[in-house]
Amino acid sequence: MANVIGSSIVIDGEITGDEDLVVQGTVKGRIALKQSLFVENSGVVEADIETQNVEISGSVTGNIHASDKVELRSDGKMVGDIKAPRILIADGATFKGNVDMDR
Amino acid sequence: MADTSTIVGQTMLIKGNLEGDEDLTVQGRIEGSINLTKTLIIEPNGVVKADVSVANAVVSGVMVGNLTASDSLEITESGRMVGDIRAPRVIIVEGASVRGKVDMGDLEMPRPASDRKPVYTPKPMARPSAPSKPKPTVKTPEKKTASPPPKAKKAAPPPKAAKKKKKVVVKKKRR
Repeated sequence: MANVIGSSIVIDGEITGDEDLVVQGTVKGRIALKQSLFVENSGVVEADIETQNVEISGSVTGNIHASDKVELRSDGKMVGDIKAPRILIADGATFKGNVDMDR
Repeated sequence: MADTSTIVGQTMLIKGNLEGDEDLTVQGRIEGSINLTKTLIIEPNGVVKADVSVANAVVSGVMVGNLTASDSLEITESGRMVGDIRAPRVIIVEGASVRGKVDMGDLEMPRPASDRKPVYTPKPMARPSAPSKPKPTVKTPEKKTASPPPKAKKAAPPPKAAKKKKKVVVKKKRR
C-alpha cells in the first residue's frame, strides 16, 4: 500500500510512517520511513531522509540515511550526504555530497 | 494538469503545513494546517488535528480544528468533529458527532414580526343598535313593494341598511 503525495502538494513539516511513500510534489522538513521512499520526476524534497530504501528520480536536497539502499536514477539530482550500505548512481544522475558506505 | 489524488496511508504521520491543488485522502494522521483547493476526505481511520481550509470536505474520521470550506462540508456517520465550521453548505448525517460553532455565512432569515407589514384589518362592522331587531319587521314590506334591483339598495349604503339587506335576503330565500 503506497502513499502518494501528489504533484501539486507542498508539505512543510515532518513525515513519518511505516509504509512506502511516493513523492511527486514538494516536501520540506524531515522524512522518516520504515520502508521505501520514491522521489519521482516531479518530486522535490528538501529534507533529511531516514528510510530503508530511497529511489530518486527527482530532486533531493538533504542528507540521506538509508538502512538498505540508495538509488539515484538517470534523471535524479541530489545534493547532500548519503549514508547507506548500498549505493547505486545511474548514468546521467547529478550528485554532490559525501558518500559513506560504512557497514 | 495532473489529476492525481494524494493518499496519506494509515501508518503515516505528517506534522506541518500541507497545501495543494488536488484531493487529499487521509487514512493516517495529519497535524498542523491543511490548505487545499479541492476536496479533503478523512477516512474512518484518519485523524486530522489541524486548521483546514478547503473547497469541500468529507469527514468520516476524526477532525479536531477549525474547518473552513468554500463549497461544502459533509460529516458522515463515523465522523467526529471538534472545532468551528464555516461553510455555505453543511451536511451532518445521523450518527455523526460534532462539537463547535457552525457558521453558514449570511443567511436570509424570515423578517421579524415587527418588520412585517400590518395584517389586513377589516373595517369595523357596524353593529345595529339593540332596537334594530323590531325594525326589519317594519321595513320589509316597504322593500317588497319597492322591489327595485338590489343594486339600488346597495347604492344607499347606510350601515344599518347593509345589515338589514342581509335579513331581507334571508326572507327572500324563504320564499
